[in-house]
Amino acid sequence: MRGLGGFLAYRLLRTLVALWLVSTVVFVVMRLSGDPVPLLLPPDAPISEMERVRHDLGLDQPLPVQYAVFLRNVVRGDFGRSIHFRQPAMDVARSYLVATFELGLVAFAIAVVVAFPVGVISAVRRNSLLDHTAMGFALIGQSAPTFFIGIVLILLLALRLDLFPTSGRGDWRHLVLPALTLGAFTMASIARITRSAVLEVLRADFVRTARAKGVAESWVIVKHTLRNAALPILTITGLQFGTLLGGAVVTETVFAWPGIGRLAIQSIYNRDYPVVQSTVFIAAVLFIVINLCLDVLYGVLDPRARA
Amino acid sequence: MEHEVRQADIPTVEALVNAFEAGSVSRRAFLRRAGLLGLTAAAAGALADAAAPRRARAQTTQKRDLVVAQGGDISKFDPHFSTSSNDIRVSFNVFDTLTSRHPDQKLYPSLATEWKATGPTTWTFKLRSGVKWHNGDPFTAADAKFSLERTYDPAAKTMVGTVFTTIDRIEAPDPTTLVIHTKKSDPLLPDRLAFYGGQIVPRKYLEQVGPDTFNAKPVGTGPLRLLSWTKDDKAVFEAFPDYWGGKIDVDSVVFRPIPETAPRVAAVLKGEVDAITQLPSDHWDRVNQNPTTRGVGALYAGLYVLGINAKVPPLNNQMVRQALSLSIDREAIVKDLYRGRAIVPNGPIAQGDRHYDPSLPPLKYDPRAARDLVKKSGYKNEPVVIETTIGYVAQDKVMSEAIAGMWKDVGLNAVVEVVEYSVRAEKNRNKTFKGLWWSDPTSTLRDPDGMMWRLLGPGGPQDYFRDPEWDELGNAARFSLDEKFRGEAYRKMTKIMLEKAFGWVIIMQPYEDYGLQRYVDFTPNPNQQFEVRRFNFRMRRA
Repeated sequence: MRGLGGFLAYRLLRTLVALWLVSTVVFVVMRLSGDPVPLLLPPDAPISEMERVRHDLGLDQPLPVQYAVFLRNVVRGDFGRSIHFRQPAMDVARSYLVATFELGLVAFAIAVVVAFPVGVISAVRRNSLLDHTAMGFALIGQSAPTFFIGIVLILLLALRLDLFPTSGRGDWRHLVLPALTLGAFTMASIARITRSAVLEVLRADFVRTARAKGVAESWVIVKHTLRNAALPILTITGLQFGTLLGGAVVTETVFAWPGIGRLAIQSIYNRDYPVVQSTVFIAAVLFIVINLCLDVLYGVLDPRARA
Repeated sequence: MEHEVRQADIPTVEALVNAFEAGSVSRRAFLRRAGLLGLTAAAAGALADAAAPRRARAQTTQKRDLVVAQGGDISKFDPHFSTSSNDIRVSFNVFDTLTSRHPDQKLYPSLATEWKATGPTTWTFKLRSGVKWHNGDPFTAADAKFSLERTYDPAAKTMVGTVFTTIDRIEAPDPTTLVIHTKKSDPLLPDRLAFYGGQIVPRKYLEQVGPDTFNAKPVGTGPLRLLSWTKDDKAVFEAFPDYWGGKIDVDSVVFRPIPETAPRVAAVLKGEVDAITQLPSDHWDRVNQNPTTRGVGALYAGLYVLGINAKVPPLNNQMVRQALSLSIDREAIVKDLYRGRAIVPNGPIAQGDRHYDPSLPPLKYDPRAARDLVKKSGYKNEPVVIETTIGYVAQDKVMSEAIAGMWKDVGLNAVVEVVEYSVRAEKNRNKTFKGLWWSDPTSTLRDPDGMMWRLLGPGGPQDYFRDPEWDELGNAARFSLDEKFRGEAYRKMTKIMLEKAFGWVIIMQPYEDYGLQRYVDFTPNPNQQFEVRRFNFRMRRA
């Protein structure tokens, strides 16, 4: 694999730069958005108490000092102490990771397992009833708000039909509705992209050649078409997975799922700087690592990408 | 979560139907078991439907755990570091106070068995003996002294530092006696000890492990002992077997956050949780009509009001302020927006408070008089701005729009602006509201001193207007031990406040509603506490 080593090294360097940029942006933006101290004290707390809390949290230092300290701590993995929970911020964020992965992976798995074959079959049987139905559902999945899908599923499948629990985390039954809700958009996107990518490749010359050679149709699809359609599908799929992990806050709120998206939003409302920084950092790391893996996969699949 | 009965325990269809009626088998489990016992789906469904009314009427349970769903999660277990209602509901069960306010709003003995003013500035408390902390240590007066002093100790940096500012010094002459000296006469000290800040924490354990570990692994004297907490998921407590008030009627209690209203109500309707808090008024009927659940509520110990920044025009004009109150049809708001789950107040003292005057009529609605006042006042069409949050006070935004409409009807240029909660907090702190804002003042002492004086008094958090006679009365009432004098003072203060229309545009006193399974026997306590002690909680058992 000529050049793969250099390719990887370059990608890793870009990863580190991306992480530094993300941290800096978070640092700057959080400090522009408001003073957290009034939120931490009862409304009748005297100003002297506010000054004391501000000093203890280092929020009275000049910005460059706060930034230098911040960078040093990021390298150490120390994101400070959560104002809201009074525990180390990174510990708080980390405690949400297992639940986040559980939901994200299952949602993603369901989405891929359903969408991929549906997309391929829709492309192969273009304009059939199956194609139209599938793409109709995909349109709904991509346009209906997550909130709406979630509540409808709860009311129909959990309350009315009593098939699943209404919310919360527990055994496998608790995963189904939130995973369906979270995965709806992804499932729809992957199905549509798969369909167009496969259609695109089916029109290509080498496919006509393979058919002319007498290759069996199914083999045409599996061996020749899919491998070439893989790149755009892979791109969308990888990006969707990253979004799933970090952006599940609506699903998590509707289903009372203890995921990191919910933590992020609550921490923003609470102006809990340290936890916001931890969650954004974690989300950024996940996203960047997934992209790194995608890049590597490309490099393996398509030698042209290693340039 | 249902206590699923094992298949081996249900050998016949008849036994299964009995179990279903008793509530120990969910509908889903019933259908499944019925199938295993040989019934068709149709037959099983018909049987379940036939048994349902009997099941509803049965309303008893064998459950040994209580599952409660709140609208938000816990943030801290240290009771001196949070006054958020989601934390208070838990901390009042993990810890005890010296005096305890029961649902009838009277003070009862808790960790203190008796108390008396033994001098003009001295209160003496006799403390309960034989009380154990959750880790087995004995409770003594030294703990009470330590705990109260901690709240205002600058080194401890608690969030409740302003609760006990009347205390000068505390003595613990023996393990069951506590003597508190106040700076001036303080008739309300026992009331102060019943609310947040008054939860007693253990001296030895706290000093040993430090505040951070104490927050993660709290130790109290209350009926619930913490077992585990997964953030945003659930907090699990066991019923403390050595609780001095007697072990409560379950073995464990679980608090779960379900932030969205629809899933939270669905959870109680379906029987996944035994109780929910923060039941919105538009789901009240649904929960009551459902055969297995009911709603129960108590009048909030406080009011929903619009705070008035009387320093900005046109709110610095007394006639304009009077018109604001006269033009609001509170009955309509209560009936249409709150479905009757609120009452129209008659002044700044909440119903249930000491010195509440039931002879005063509900606040008047007279749009014609309001219109006249606006004309006479010399109002120059300056905007009257409501800076509303969304969801800080229930239905705040919707109420703002309704009230703005009513104000427009009497000739005021009413404007509604939405602000985010943390922006509201900042404006609140810096007193920079453009006009009016939503507030839910809590009557922390069940006494006007703890609400209108605490918030609207000189230097208080809602100090935008001063009237010297009102101030003099409030000050005198605070330090007087003569309840008749105090009552008269608060009557006069109410009159002044309504005439000069300062401080608050009082809107309503809402009910705080809960949704319960019918087998839960629970009497709510207005002070945002979900207490589970023998005097207000038990399960209905067969």
